[in-house]
Amino acid sequence: MVTSHDVEAIEVENLTKRYGRPGEGVLAVDHISFAVHRGEVFGFLGPNGAGKTTTQRMLTTLLEPSEGRIIINGYDLARDAYPVKRQMGLVPEESNVYTELTAWDNLMFTARLYRVPRKERAERARELLQAFGLWEKRDIKVEAFSKGMRRRLSIAMAIVHRPSLLFLDEPTPGLDAQSTRAIRDLVRRLNAEGTTIFLTTHQIEEANQLCDRVAIINHGRIAAIDTPERLKRAFQRVQSVEVALEPDGQRHGDALAALPGVTTAVKMGDKWRLYTQDPSSLLPLVVDYAREHQARIVSLSTLGPSLEDVFLEITGQSVGTVRHETQEGDGRRPGMRGRRGGRR
Amino acid sequence: MTDGWQERVIDEIAQAWTVTVKDIKVYYLRPGMIMFGVLMPFFLFFSFSIRRHIAATQGEARLLALTLLFTAAAAGPFIIPLERRLGTYDRLMAAPMSLLTLLLGKMAVGALFAIAVSLVALLAGVLVFGVAVAHPWLLAVGILLGACCFAALGLVFGSIPTRSPGDVQMPSVLLRWGLLFISGVFVPLRDMAPLARAVAYLSPLTYAQDLMDHAVAGTGMLSPHLDVAALLLFGILFLSPSIWLHRRSRQLGY
Ligand SMILES: Nc1ncnc2c1ncn2[C@@H]1O[C@H](COP(=O)(O)OP(=O)(O)OP(=O)(O)O)[C@@H](O)[C@H]1O
Ligand SMILES: [Mg+2]
Repeated sequence: MVTSHDVEAIEVENLTKRYGRPGEGVLAVDHISFAVHRGEVFGFLGPNGAGKTTTQRMLTTLLEPSEGRIIINGYDLARDAYPVKRQMGLVPEESNVYTELTAWDNLMFTARLYRVPRKERAERARELLQAFGLWEKRDIKVEAFSKGMRRRLSIAMAIVHRPSLLFLDEPTPGLDAQSTRAIRDLVRRLNAEGTTIFLTTHQIEEANQLCDRVAIINHGRIAAIDTPERLKRAFQRVQSVEVALEPDGQRHGDALAALPGVTTAVKMGDKWRLYTQDPSSLLPLVVDYAREHQARIVSLSTLGPSLEDVFLEITGQSVGTVRHETQEGDGRRPGMRGRRGGRR
Repeated sequence: MTDGWQERVIDEIAQAWTVTVKDIKVYYLRPGMIMFGVLMPFFLFFSFSIRRHIAATQGEARLLALTLLFTAAAAGPFIIPLERRLGTYDRLMAAPMSLLTLLLGKMAVGALFAIAVSLVALLAGVLVFGVAVAHPWLLAVGILLGACCFAALGLVFGSIPTRSPGDVQMPSVLLRWGLLFISGVFVPLRDMAPLARAVAYLSPLTYAQDLMDHAVAGTGMLSPHLDVAALLLFGILFLSPSIWLHRRSRQLGY
């Protein structure tokens, strides 16, 4: 048994998942490698269909990898899953609670399944239900629970056995601000108590707020792994202002691209998307420009970074090359090319 | 963390039982279970036995065999695909227990369901029709073994990689109907042509029916020892396709 303290919580080498037959199936995860240190909150950030859930399901033994190796707390998952399963908790994408049972019965069932000693079970269930604001509803069947309540219950069920490693797959989408904050606070608290956390998300802001390090994944490949602080520069470069001008909106492209602070202008239908690090300074310039040229502003909005753009930025491809015609940007740095791990 | 293998075994037994109790609470009263597990065997029994003059004991043995098959095998194809769809099956697959433990827990769900329903059928026979059971102990063993064997058969269908109970429920019902007609339930084994009898020997239901004949009416044709051994063997055999299908699901992503 390996218990040395410098063992990584998770080590992944060349992990690959192909759904369907070799050659014709979907390559959902494509030879990724990374390590999650003990005690950190590790973010796994990527757009829809990037391969996040697939990766998490492989890490939690639910899905067999097509290739590659997973080592958790020093145990090779392919050979020694049992001790790993005892140490990990899992919150899947959909809250998988038993709607026919009460909140209390759901928790007691999980506690029994993880062999929490009889004496501790009730105590632990009470503690969790109180901490999650579900104590008053403990005897109500879960079918009457709201989405946020189910989510909280499913997190409580995942930590009833005090796992040292917790996997969370998109814990907050679809929840109101208050539930979201409660869940984020909880993640911080668990982490402060020493739990290593693997957090899958497609929200840049969530990764910024919670994670010590973030891996950015798209199309099954990792583009970068770094601290949110350092990734932020890449995020900032791909903020944008979108403007539609009339009449003759098309002809303003070159002039708009030449405005101070604009890195790239991309035509999106009848709009121009102007990439910039500083949307708030660009807005008045766009308004002035329209006034000077007697153009009417049909719509004007600022957009935060989209993950797709962040990914392109980091991999050094020009924003907009994939789906839209592009105007050459000026002086854009190639960005952080796949630092640790990540084969491209 | 547990140390010795004895503790591990105790853990696994407790976990299997935990799964069984949870499923009983969640699924026993579901319409799908009642319809395929309780109504169908009684419906079949009455549609094939009415207007034919058979002894009460003979009828009771037939009803028990039918109930064991249909009720025990109803649970697997209903519960597992449903849990896969709801994501709750992931919770079980990720838990620190062996696949065999999970399968045994699920098998007990179907088996206990069948035992409960056949006890009702037995009670009705004894109280209403005055059936006198020839060998009560043999009957107890037969009900237990038959229930486990057919629950394991249900698990094979439940293990097929799918998230929709409809995909596996019909095939599993069809198979049970098929077994019904080749297994000496409606045509006694001794009245069968040699070829038909050879086919009947391939069906676990044949041995369950024969064992019920011995136990209730004292009239079976094969040796009760053979019946017991065959049911045991079929039950164990049925577990291996389930294990294989679960591995397959883990590759396919169900
Ligand atoms: N069971 C499956 N069979 C076949 N293809 C699948 C299966 N599950 C996922 N995929 C495919 O694999 C790719 C990655 O899917 P995955 O669910 O891992 O993405 P994700 O990053 O979790 O996306 P989301 O943000 O939408 O949850 C997608 O193209 C998806 O269509
Ligand atoms: Mg996902």
